[in-house]
Amino acid sequence: METLSATRREADFPALLDRLKPECERIIAQYEDRRSALLPIMHLFQEHEGFASPEAMRACAAMLDVTPAVVESTVSFYTLFYRRPVGKYVVQVCRGLACSINGADEIMAHFRERLGVKTLETTPDGLFSYEEVECLAACDRPTCAQVNLEFVYDLTPQSVDDLLAAIRGGTYAVAPMAQTQEPPRTWSVRQDGEVSTGRKTEGATDVSHPNNAGGLGDATGVIMLDRIVLRDAEFRGRTKERVVTEPPGTMRELEDAR
Amino acid sequence: MAGVVTKVLTAGIGEADLRDIDVYRKRGGYKQWERAVRELKPADVLALADKSGLRGRGGAGFPTGKKWSFLPAGDKPRYLVCNCDEAEPGTFKDHMLLEETPHLVLEGMLLGAYGIGAHHAFIYIRGEFKRGYAIFMDALASARKAGYVGENIFGSGYDLEVTVHRGAGAYICGEETGLLNSLEGKRGEPRLKPPFPAIAGLYGMPTVVNNVETLAYLVPILEKGADWFAAVGTERSKGYKIVSVSGHVRKPGNYEVALGTTVCDIIDLAGGLRPGRTFMAVQPGGGSSACIFEEHLDLPYDYENMTKAGSMLGSGAFVVFDDTTDFVKAAHNLVRFFAHESCGQCTPCREGGHWLEVVLERFVRGRGLMSDLEMMHRVSSTITGLNLCALGDSIEPFLKSVLVRFPGQFEARALREGVPA
Repeated sequence: METLSATRREADFPALLDRLKPECERIIAQYEDRRSALLPIMHLFQEHEGFASPEAMRACAAMLDVTPAVVESTVSFYTLFYRRPVGKYVVQVCRGLACSINGADEIMAHFRERLGVKTLETTPDGLFSYEEVECLAACDRPTCAQVNLEFVYDLTPQSVDDLLAAIRGGTYAVAPMAQTQEPPRTWSVRQDGEVSTGRKTEGATDVSHPNNAGGLGDATGVIMLDRIVLRDAEFRGRTKERVVTEPPGTMRELEDAR
Repeated sequence: MAGVVTKVLTAGIGEADLRDIDVYRKRGGYKQWERAVRELKPADVLALADKSGLRGRGGAGFPTGKKWSFLPAGDKPRYLVCNCDEAEPGTFKDHMLLEETPHLVLEGMLLGAYGIGAHHAFIYIRGEFKRGYAIFMDALASARKAGYVGENIFGSGYDLEVTVHRGAGAYICGEETGLLNSLEGKRGEPRLKPPFPAIAGLYGMPTVVNNVETLAYLVPILEKGADWFAAVGTERSKGYKIVSVSGHVRKPGNYEVALGTTVCDIIDLAGGLRPGRTFMAVQPGGGSSACIFEEHLDLPYDYENMTKAGSMLGSGAFVVFDDTTDFVKAAHNLVRFFAHESCGQCTPCREGGHWLEVVLERFVRGRGLMSDLEMMHRVSSTITGLNLCALGDSIEPFLKSVLVRFPGQFEARALREGVPA
């Protein structure tokens, strides 16, 4: 894996950028506003580097005339952009409800056991990244999954074994992702630790969930919320849009009502 | 009357390679596009859409013609955006249309764009549909080559450009203003409405966002007329709908039926339940909808009856549950989904969804509290109505419907008083 060092990839980046620039310009020209090209440009770089690298995000920012922070903030919103290197084969198994009631739990357990990793983790040999994902819109053929975004359907423990064997044996039909840097154990970036400086308020450190606005809740977190909900506060200004399932008269009426 | 499948949008799928533009043309493809540009005014297309009674097939069910009519007059550029970010749990119709009949999707988009007088149309394709994206790009290239897209189409002087935009994994980008933000290269966070996209949408310009299936129905409506479409269905639900049937049925799949086909008939079309099993519930409108039960089996499947039954038709995802279903796990599954997909802008949705997931996880592990049952009702209904978009409001319906219907399944997973944890 010597060739997969970060320094090597960084050194190769200017050449890659030169090569992809015309394509980026072509993408940008499709839109009335340059920034619209952010997602497609990051898709393009990820295709070549295997992940959304800091260099790619900076280059993208320069091309779109926005700050790198804007690009990283945007990229971090989307689960298909990997801000850390991943394995050559990203296996994403559907944990949606229709798959779940048709055996997805067993399939996922089987994957975890055979790969020796949990969701959002990469195998030590850098071959597989494994993730349990939301509904993949193939509910008629459970359990479904994607391998480097190509669908596989009707998974059984046997077909999972065959799939993994084919990938390991180099005979699988789907091409591997580019891999330009050795992948760490996980590509998931947590709010605590890796990104932040660790200088957050006490209540906000070590929270179990990135969406948790630190300090809210007891050990289970629930009681505090319960107290807030029980508080005799009046909520004003509920938007009734879409709560009402029958269509409102007109949208203008809604606007006028404001 | 037993339910029947009527192949309108799904005609030819599985029989011919509709991805080939010549095959598609031989079956009458792009004839309506040519006729519209050569013979009809945009207002005629709008009038047809309006008269047909076509309602949005993506989830909200808003009348399509009416949506278009909200665009203000004037010289501002206006955009049509086709929403192919299909991710509602249980829905898999747009995925099929995109991969199997991309030219129909494109022709529908072209008609829609013409109908609102747009010169630039976009299609936002879910990031996971990598294959569908490639198929659609091929279709677009061959349509461009044939002169159906681009400048001076059919020598009429009308220009229309189409741009394909791939998402990158975010359910919320299926919400129309989240989609527009994502299309503008931003985080897919929904916008405050009003203004609605019709007034200020993409790049602040008047914009219509329509679902793939909605736009595709414009093609047969132009061909056969608004009356043909409006003659089918029920009073306020006209025409056909692709129903994505999944779960505990023998033949899950996409079934295109007339709106108003009964719930029971749809289950029968999908092969019925597996042998020896009994029916427990159907979730008739995707992950955001409440379950309906045995007493609703004879109801016509349409917008108004699903609403009357306390649920919704939504995107037409139709998930059937038999007596093997663990509704505690199912509720946990869906709440986890919404908690995961919450963009985090609105506190009720972000916090409420997360903590409900935590509570439901306790039940899944058999360590719920009896007091949690009532609290879940309260928390979920508190979330509803306090958010910028409908995602937060989608947490309550399924959870509440199964809490009310199957309290025993939850109680059995709660710790008893006096029993040490």
